[in-house]
Amino acid sequence: MDWILISTFAILSLLVPGTIYADEKIVIGGIEEVILLPWGVRLPARIDTGAAKSSLDAQDLKVQDEMVEFKLPKKHGGLKLRLPIIEWRHVRTPEGLEPRPIVELEICLGSRRIRTEVNLADRSMVKYPLILGRNFLKENYIVDVKRRKTAPPNCPEIP
Amino acid sequence: MDILSAGSSSSFKIKMGSGPKRFREYLLSRPVGLTFFFMLTLSIVFAGEETSAAEKITIGEVEEVILLPWRVKLPARIDTGAATSSLDARELKVKNNIAEFKLPKKYGGALLRLPVTDWTHVRGADFKERRPVVEITLCMGPILIHTQVTLNDRSTVRYPLIIGRNVLKDNFVVDCTASNCFPPSCPEVPSQ
Repeated sequence: MDWILISTFAILSLLVPGTIYADEKIVIGGIEEVILLPWGVRLPARIDTGAAKSSLDAQDLKVQDEMVEFKLPKKHGGLKLRLPIIEWRHVRTPEGLEPRPIVELEICLGSRRIRTEVNLADRSMVKYPLILGRNFLKENYIVDVKRRKTAPPNCPEIP
Repeated sequence: MDILSAGSSSSFKIKMGSGPKRFREYLLSRPVGLTFFFMLTLSIVFAGEETSAAEKITIGEVEEVILLPWRVKLPARIDTGAATSSLDARELKVKNNIAEFKLPKKYGGALLRLPVTDWTHVRGADFKERRPVVEITLCMGPILIHTQVTLNDRSTVRYPLIIGRNVLKDNFVVDCTASNCFPPSCPEVPSQ
């Protein structure tokens, strides 16, 4: 019954390449789909090594004391979110410095759940609602722009 | 992979006896055999893909490159968010399809004259612009790259050169936990 062994090895060898690199670094493409937790909203994200911080497209943004209220883009469900502001930070944009509220989000990319800071901005001009910048990519990701959607979200705890 | 396929093929020979007829019978009578072959083929294909990904050069979020033939060293921001690359061009003038500009003073301020190969239209929140595109040669890591760059005044930004996806696509992967991890070392460029 050594074919059982052989096919097990064959299956294992299928799983190993592609995702795991030297030093446990995970290779992702220039675009990846992520799930926003705990709401379970799927969003396509641009993986952007040129951005220092991640940023999320927030529509109808309202600030109340220490809280911020905004809507996700209509195209991605338009869910209304209310989150505590961690801080305000001046973000460098092509048009100059701009103060933006920073919130903490939990996202699922591939099989990992990661808490990360994102700044909120109306990005309706731009194609992707979420930009994952270098603060996120420092979690041991390597970007290969030749690929796309190589790590579909499958975090164990999410249905 | 090599060890696995060698081991599996030898164990196959033992089980199957010899002769193409018996081999075929074995495959048809036992779907497991087919599945196994299918798996083996797939794993070989995937392993091949993995090798090609590993052959890509890993670079950091910022790298030093050499602009040729002038041999000017410039730090470049490696930007997977930019579709194309762009270069900081000061006092930019275009005459008869020739772009004339200076590199930033900090990097020698050389006056360059290059033919315009294309124009890009850039639209921001409150501006609309047409920018000339020229072709340049760069030494990045161990390879020489001919690429199109958009010219614009980038004096407000930290890096004089942005390397976008048009350059990264075929040869590089980007690791943001590092910078300056692959100093320019093209065999074509004499000792730097």
